[in-house]
Amino acid sequence: MENSEKNKDKTLNEKYTEKLEEIFENLLDFMKQAAPVILNINDSITDSTNKIPKATNQINNVTNATEVATTEILDTVDIISNDVLCIEKNLDEISLVEQQKNEILIKMKSLHLSEESINMLNEYERINNTLSVYKKVYELTDKIKNNTNNIALSLQVQDITSQQLAAVNHLISSVQNKLSSLVQNLDDTNSKDFWNMEIQVPKGSHFDPNASYSRSDKRQENVDSIMNDQTKKTSQAEIDKLFL
Amino acid sequence: MALKFLIVDDSVTMRRIVINSLRNLGYNDFIEANDGKEAIEKLTVDPAVNFVITDWNMPVVSGLELVKSIRSSEKFTNLPVLMVTTRGVKEDIIEALQAKVNNYVVKPFTPAVLKEKIDQILATA
Repeated sequence: MENSEKNKDKTLNEKYTEKLEEIFENLLDFMKQAAPVILNINDSITDSTNKIPKATNQINNVTNATEVATTEILDTVDIISNDVLCIEKNLDEISLVEQQKNEILIKMKSLHLSEESINMLNEYERINNTLSVYKKVYELTDKIKNNTNNIALSLQVQDITSQQLAAVNHLISSVQNKLSSLVQNLDDTNSKDFWNMEIQVPKGSHFDPNASYSRSDKRQENVDSIMNDQTKKTSQAEIDKLFL
Repeated sequence: MALKFLIVDDSVTMRRIVINSLRNLGYNDFIEANDGKEAIEKLTVDPAVNFVITDWNMPVVSGLELVKSIRSSEKFTNLPVLMVTTRGVKEDIIEALQAKVNNYVVKPFTPAVLKEKIDQILATA
């Protein structure tokens, strides 16, 4: 009886051993197949990680280039604004001279002159009436000033885009750090953790990741509304409501 | 009262745009700083500055930290400070108010808005 029990155990052991051997063989086969794939992934990640500093540099170059171009545009806008100021100053001087001429004409017409002389003075006054022309020129210079102001305002986009690009650079650097750690710890890394990672913008960063360009008045109206809500004094009725 | 402005922004472009806007409004006296730390240094050496216009997101010392620093100094408790920034969410505005900015403008701004906020600050000063 004992022998048959022992034989039974031996057979079970043999079966388990065979099973285990089969499992280990399958595992070894899998690892032989997986190793080249993992090495390939490792190489790809290393390659991508090496390219990231170049991407970051290129983004910084874009920001620098747009700042240079924007400065050049602002320089030209300043020149235009100064020239318009000169034009207006000259117009003011000419207007003053025209005013003085008109005053002399009025005085001359009050003298005892012949009808022919008065007719000639009237004709001169009619031809020389340039006030409406000056008015048009002033309107034009105002228009030019408004347009140069609008150009300057639109160039605020450069500040906004540079912050957006800085946010992208931060994202790229964070991905690079994560990829670097992945390359080092490929076997230990839980892939779920990697794909679910959140990239936090550090507090006190020098860029606003939510910066956006919009000429709509709504954003400032929203700000003003919040400022007014926060700064208005609470009425006694509102305080009383809290204690009901 | 003649105003001397301290314009604080790490963007050269924005400093120029703010200064251009102020010039168009008739103001002509400005100094500039690239960040909050530089602004504090300039305030310390130039007592004539009587109005600060600052960005928020800056390296070294942010605009918010600059405001807190200004308000913590007895010398500058009543110095008018206008925040001009891209940050427009409610939490940021409240945080700025708690730091005791006098008013708040979101970028991009128009000269009319800048004038309105400066006038509001001067009216309550």
